[in-house]
Amino acid sequence: MSAELSDDDELLAAELAFGLIDGGERGAAEDRLGRDAGFADAHARWQAYAAAMASDPGEAPRPSVWSAIEARLPANDVAPARASRTSLRWWQAGTLAASAAAIVLGVVALQKPQTIVVRVPVAQPASAPMVAVLTGKKGIVTVSFDPASGRMTSAANGLDLGDHSPQLWVIPADGKPRSMGVMNASAPGWAKVPETASSVMAAGVTLAVSVEPVGGSPTGQPTGPVILTGKLTTT
Amino acid sequence: MGSTNSDMAAASLAATLQRVGAGDRAAFEEVYRRTSVKLFGVCLRILPVRQEAEEALQEAYLSVWRRAGSFDGTKGSAMTWLITLTRNRAVDRLRGSGKFAAGPIELADEVPDPAPAASTMLETGEDERRLAYCLDTLGGGDAQLIRTAFFEGSTYAELADRASTPLGTIKSRIRRALLKLRDCLR
Repeated sequence: MSAELSDDDELLAAELAFGLIDGGERGAAEDRLGRDAGFADAHARWQAYAAAMASDPGEAPRPSVWSAIEARLPANDVAPARASRTSLRWWQAGTLAASAAAIVLGVVALQKPQTIVVRVPVAQPASAPMVAVLTGKKGIVTVSFDPASGRMTSAANGLDLGDHSPQLWVIPADGKPRSMGVMNASAPGWAKVPETASSVMAAGVTLAVSVEPVGGSPTGQPTGPVILTGKLTTT
Repeated sequence: MGSTNSDMAAASLAATLQRVGAGDRAAFEEVYRRTSVKLFGVCLRILPVRQEAEEALQEAYLSVWRRAGSFDGTKGSAMTWLITLTRNRAVDRLRGSGKFAAGPIELADEVPDPAPAASTMLETGEDERRLAYCLDTLGGGDAQLIRTAFFEGSTYAELADRASTPLGTIKSRIRRALLKLRDCLR
């Protein structure tokens, strides 16, 4: 696979992979990766060794991590408005469609290697009511939202936070939470959603509940842990 | 544990990562499902505070999303690519936080290597077991130095400082260990 390197070159490849060198030394070694295939091979091998040191079995991150990642992704090939049932059906329609799509994406990727195809969802005035079921660490929260009136109802079960209040947030694609208001944990409530939040309510966005001081976050951003998340879908 | 199984898993992960490079969100979700436990382990190792580790993990996956197009399956496995990227994000965060205090390093060989012993690593892959075995053959101090370099982003200069040892001494010590490691892994 790789030609025999001198010990010095072998070591340089290892030092680069393990991050032992910096400054000009590192820059020179990085430059060499592009023009010396044997050196690049050795570097790849050492990188694999370095990665293999991360041999911990690992640990599952909380589900909120995925929600947060998803919320920060730019819009792309999968229209967020598509309900999950529909996309299931689409996938079930057969591998033919899937591979055709893959070929199309592949062609696009070949033509414009650095371009990510972004299909911006057209802001269409949603009129159908939307619902979300928020699950996670504690209890369960259901939210329904009527875009026509900008009002929501919310209800919690098994969500006793003692001397803290549950606060509802909507997290659209830009990843910035907008407060929908503080919830009543002991009885269903209904409220007008603030304009800043209702303007970004759309199918596919993430709703979340964080633990806040009584009366709500003093900063306008979540200050306590996010304990429940869920996706808003159209009915 | 047939190596065929893990080879197939590796090939399918590489193919999935390539689909992420083409902007396929379902593929991205699959990569997350298959690798987040492992990569969160990497983050936790570098950033023991969970909140910090979770933020590093988020940043790592957002980089995966943006940069999957540059993954080249001929230059290494998808898992190595993902771990390297995650390690870099987490180390950037660790070093950028300003809170990072590089503690002193004990060079004595009697220092127990805190990594799990090779024999207990049944869940892990062949490469990892071999590497753990070979690191075990080094003195505990040397294995520890190499790990510290990688997981804390410490260079020779910083390691020398932390071990209160001249730069030349630390350098030749690590280089000797690296060559020993290579010979063991060949």
